[in-house]
Amino acid sequence: MKSYSVLSQSIGFRLQATPLKLLSFVFYLLSFSFFSCTTKEHKQATKFDQYMVQGEVLYQTHCSNCHQKKGTGLGLLYPPLNKSDFMDNHFEEVICLMKKGREGELIVNGKQFNKPMKGVASLTELEIAEIATYIYNTWDHRKGITEVKEVTTILAKCPD
Amino acid sequence: MLIVSLVVYSCAIKEKPLPIFGERSVVGNDTVYHTIAHFEFLDQDSALVTNDTFKDKIYVADFFFTSCRTICPIMKTQMKRVYDTLQNKPDVLILSHTIDPEYDTVALLHDFAERLGVESKKWHFVTGVKDSIYKIAQTSYFATAMEDKTEPDGFIHSGAFLLIDKQGHIRGKYDGTKEDDVNRLIGDIERLRSN
Repeated sequence: MKSYSVLSQSIGFRLQATPLKLLSFVFYLLSFSFFSCTTKEHKQATKFDQYMVQGEVLYQTHCSNCHQKKGTGLGLLYPPLNKSDFMDNHFEEVICLMKKGREGELIVNGKQFNKPMKGVASLTELEIAEIATYIYNTWDHRKGITEVKEVTTILAKCPD
Repeated sequence: MLIVSLVVYSCAIKEKPLPIFGERSVVGNDTVYHTIAHFEFLDQDSALVTNDTFKDKIYVADFFFTSCRTICPIMKTQMKRVYDTLQNKPDVLILSHTIDPEYDTVALLHDFAERLGVESKKWHFVTGVKDSIYKIAQTSYFATAMEDKTEPDGFIHSGAFLLIDKQGHIRGKYDGTKEDDVNRLIGDIERLRSN
């Protein structure tokens, strides 16, 4: 096996370099396999993937007409999501506006937007968590999963 | 040699002219085609827009409203693509009618056009008497436009883009929500210009 011999050669090289390095390399491998095998981690990764898939479907149903499939927005009518300092700095407000809408001036990346957005009142907390997970982990965003219980807490505090 | 002759041959094929939509009648020796009826609306600069605005111009028409969240934003995204191809074509204009004139005032249309980043002399957003807008949509452009409180945003309307020639005849109908169909429109505008 060619790949095996390459691997053993590289380990052999490390062995020659310093035995301590090899030891830490083995520990690294062990710890890696330990974590990847824990069911909790695995379940969480599956959940994240499910939220991403569902979130994309919901995004295309409720959001992308205006904000566009690639999150670019349109002119100064609909603000972008693919790169947005507003999203970065106002996570809770983003959760609220999905359900309750928003009116008035909104500054995104230094540009002024001012078109009212109607909320989608029918969205469930799970659906909001899925959309948030999708928009916050697509394009340039890598926020990680948004949990339903986070959404529940935030929605309870939304201004009317 | 073969390639050269193929190129020459393909250039020699004359494309079929675009169809003329609607009913036609024969008066004496002339065929009279369906023509866009007389209209008078106000655009985003409060300027009067009539058939004369489009005299000797080709134009693309559609029906929308600014507060619509369903197909209109997609139509506007696609129409903006059309607009971007018209920069060096002074003989082609765009005419977008609001079907919600009570909400879409001149001021609101002005703000909308400005935010979209388009010039008023190229792309007219018009408002007017509601019944006149609905009537011209249905009888002149064959496009559906009406109020319906059971719809999510209160209106039903078609997402069609209509291509109108210099004589006021409809020469093409396209689905303004489909990128492929709008590409066809962009091609047809060129065909119409070169006729």
